[in-house]
Amino acid sequence: MLHWIQYIRGYVAVKVWGYSVERLLNLCGNHDVLVWDIEDHGDYHTMHMSIAGFFALKPLLKKTGTRAAVIGKYGMPFFVSKMLGRKLFVAGLAGCILFWCLASRFIWDIRIEGNFALTEDVLMDYLEEQGIHTAMKKSALEIAELEQALREDYNLITWTSVQLRGTTLLIHIKENEMPVYDNRNKADSDKGMDLVAEKEGVVTYIITRSGVPQVACGDTVQKGDVLVSGAVPVYNEDTTVRRYQYVQADADITLSYARNLSLEEEIAYDEKCYTGESIEIPVVGTGEKEVAFRIRKVPYDFYDTSEEKKQVQLLDHLYLPVYYGKRTVQEYEIVPKMHTEEEMKTLLQGRWRKIIATLNEKGVQIAEKNVTIKKNEKKWVLHAHMQLEESAVKLTPTITPPVEENEEENTQTD
Amino acid sequence: MESLKLPKDTMLGAAIVTITGNREAFIENYKGILEYTTESIVLQGKNARICFEGSGLSIDYYTNEDMKISGKIDALRYI
Repeated sequence: MLHWIQYIRGYVAVKVWGYSVERLLNLCGNHDVLVWDIEDHGDYHTMHMSIAGFFALKPLLKKTGTRAAVIGKYGMPFFVSKMLGRKLFVAGLAGCILFWCLASRFIWDIRIEGNFALTEDVLMDYLEEQGIHTAMKKSALEIAELEQALREDYNLITWTSVQLRGTTLLIHIKENEMPVYDNRNKADSDKGMDLVAEKEGVVTYIITRSGVPQVACGDTVQKGDVLVSGAVPVYNEDTTVRRYQYVQADADITLSYARNLSLEEEIAYDEKCYTGESIEIPVVGTGEKEVAFRIRKVPYDFYDTSEEKKQVQLLDHLYLPVYYGKRTVQEYEIVPKMHTEEEMKTLLQGRWRKIIATLNEKGVQIAEKNVTIKKNEKKWVLHAHMQLEESAVKLTPTITPPVEENEEENTQTD
Repeated sequence: MESLKLPKDTMLGAAIVTITGNREAFIENYKGILEYTTESIVLQGKNARICFEGSGLSIDYYTNEDMKISGKIDALRYI
């Protein structure tokens, strides 16, 4: 405690030498000058005293025939005057603190966690639409509203949590893991839906759950043909149609159709060969703008550019809108080359496998396939003839068939 | 004076010396300092001089009322 008071009021270390230091000490005592840490160094003594004490010392020195010199200054008053001497430093320090305070009022980073189906880009675009972006004021952010808007605008999101941590906006979402019931194909109850062929082919399998089948196994259908009608006729006693009941057609239908495919692969190709020459250009940017530190033009004819950027981070969650990094320019040459037979085979097979995999993914079954590879000097061509089976149907609104209305019947029903 | 129960130091002007072990001494009611080296410190009391002998002696603080001496104290003599 005493040390703190001494530090705040300031004190000096004084070296005293001369005829009688003891007498000076007595006089100090009599004049209420507090001295402490008095040490004997043989030729001279050192002691600590307050600033006011030092000024009161002068007449005493004269009286005792001793001399004194300040050898150290300690405490707040000296520190402050030292700092005032370094105006630029103090201004820089103040500016830094001010900048920090100002910068921490904005959001400099947005992080989204917990999204699987919804990509970060989609959500970022959505946030942008909502007026939430980096470098926006923290005070302009309505956390509860944002949480609600996210839940309302995306059916997939079942839970949201928006947090501001430092200058980082953390958005946690939970997506619905249960499949979302797709109600786009849901029929209007009074209109009815037909099942229509999406492709030309032969019906190989049909089981109708609701609606009236219009085709049978083995029938050839064209694209757009109605396979199952959503209009179920209600007959009169004389087998004339009285009216139609509309339902949503539902059936398992498989259409079989042929598909020809040819894949070409040229033997000659151009290969990118990196020469190993590269230039690294330092880049500094903020937001959209960017400055590359290079005046001369890139001296290569062909080159690839890749960029690595980092955001300036002061603390764990305090990001600044300034990026730095490097741009690497790599030179390459185009070298004409020829594929070997082995390479050609793997290339074509790779492409062919990919096509089959995509078909499988779409739920298309391959009933039959016939693959031939033709080779000539310039290229190889893979021909494939496939018989595919697929449930290529879609729902469309039922076209109302004309009802043979009969004036008499109407009156009867009424 | 005994019957009045007055403090002796104020009445007789006697110095009070409090020594803690042999490393610290606390002195009140003295008149002044006569000699100060690392080996000996001589103080002037009202009736006698107080002499501290030892090695590495130094004065921690010094005011009109009291002072503190630290260092290795070998002997305390009244001259």
